[in-house]
Amino acid sequence: MADKKNHDEHLEKLMNQLADSVLGLSDEAICAETREVGADPEQEAEPTRLVLRQASKALDNVNERLSNLGHAINPNDWWRGQWGYHNNCLNCGSSVSVTTSTGGMQGEALDGLCLESDQSPIRKWEASRK
Amino acid sequence: MAHLLSFIDTRPEFEIPNPPNPPEPPLSPTKSINAAPKSALLVENDTSLLNLLKRSFKDEGYVVRTAANSEEGLRLYRDCAPFNVVLIDYCVPPSNEGEIDHCALLQTNAIALAMTIRELNPSQGMIIAAFDYRNASEVPRPSELMHIPLLIDISNFQLRSLLEKIEVDRAIESLTSPELLRLQQFADFRVRGLGRAARGRTCEDLLHEALLRTLIGAEDTRQGRHWNKDVDFVMHLTGAMRSISSCWKRQFTEKEAYLISELPIHDAEGQEQSPLDNVASGHTAADQCLIEKDEEDRVLAIFKDDPEAIQVLQGLLDGLKKNEIMLRYGLGEKQYAAAARRIRVKLLGPRNGGSGGEKHGR
Repeated sequence: MADKKNHDEHLEKLMNQLADSVLGLSDEAICAETREVGADPEQEAEPTRLVLRQASKALDNVNERLSNLGHAINPNDWWRGQWGYHNNCLNCGSSVSVTTSTGGMQGEALDGLCLESDQSPIRKWEASRK
Repeated sequence: MAHLLSFIDTRPEFEIPNPPNPPEPPLSPTKSINAAPKSALLVENDTSLLNLLKRSFKDEGYVVRTAANSEEGLRLYRDCAPFNVVLIDYCVPPSNEGEIDHCALLQTNAIALAMTIRELNPSQGMIIAAFDYRNASEVPRPSELMHIPLLIDISNFQLRSLLEKIEVDRAIESLTSPELLRLQQFADFRVRGLGRAARGRTCEDLLHEALLRTLIGAEDTRQGRHWNKDVDFVMHLTGAMRSISSCWKRQFTEKEAYLISELPIHDAEGQEQSPLDNVASGHTAADQCLIEKDEEDRVLAIFKDDPEAIQVLQGLLDGLKKNEIMLRYGLGEKQYAAAARRIRVKLLGPRNGGSGGEKHGR
């Protein structure tokens, strides 16, 4: 058991140190290392931008879907579960969840229109300042 | 709804002259986001709403320019662009001359202004304020503007969230290839370091989670990790990834052991049974120990013909810092750097389970 823990810790330390070492590399050095592996730096880099865009888009999709149904959520009220994030509509209280790995969304808030959303903009703003 | 949609394709109330100068290029790179003060253009004719919006933007640190109609908004945009964000009220009038209360015409002008700004600078961050609508599906827009976020609710947190999102999206687009490679390789090594604790997650999952945590949740409730604009975006994301991967590791360890009292089970006749009766030994199986040891040996075996790389690896496996490794093995700065480079290149190579299109960390 102790051996296993040691191997785990050794490997973790090694990989974490290698991860940190990447941050200290100059732009030229990191591109040169990528070329050494036989890859084109530009082509190798773009999928990472795509991953970030997809994560951003996943949240857009949830917000758009909720907005289309008239639900309003406080972005600061998301709380983290084991595999995703959860929130509730401020008006009707129905729930919504986003799965982190897939960007998928679930919850009763997505089942229908919010019936409590008919407020004037000024009133909504004043309520949010309290 | 159909009658509103029919107005979208009509010509705008004001003619949009050709721009006198070539369009402003999109803002980049990321550093400029941090260096310049943030600026916003608000196009809103309702004074009370305009004051509320101005206050919210100023609270978020923006320098605000305002216009009461779309004509003035366009003139200001041409004179003062680029802005970090432009907010246009969906029902803004074309100009101050004469009263126009035909709702559909007002909408057409807001749409025309948004389209013109989009043509002048396709990456301009914009928000369309549609406070008179209950939900986004009621707000007709041409397909070119569907990606622009709508502000239906004027609450300060909704606006703050949209502004944050616009800045983060711009930072993503401004990332250079070396910065993206740095993020990718950092995520790759962090997930590898987790071993079994990754529980099937990949470096893409780690990046995905880091960005989600940037965009949602509040720092004060420890649920999110908002981007402090004084910190470089790459540094912010690597900090988030470091914290998330450590959290995954902790969660994995916590779930390994359970108290017997936490696992009461009963048989068909309601008799309490020990949960250990049907469970194999809690000790890690010998084959699992071998797998862990094998991974360490496999990494060392890759470098069997490279004694300096073996020395650096052995030092890192022993938890030594760079200077300690150099001292222990008598390596110079250049020798250490070259050996570290060979280690990274070989480990990231596709044949060794690196990021060359393969998933790992499983």
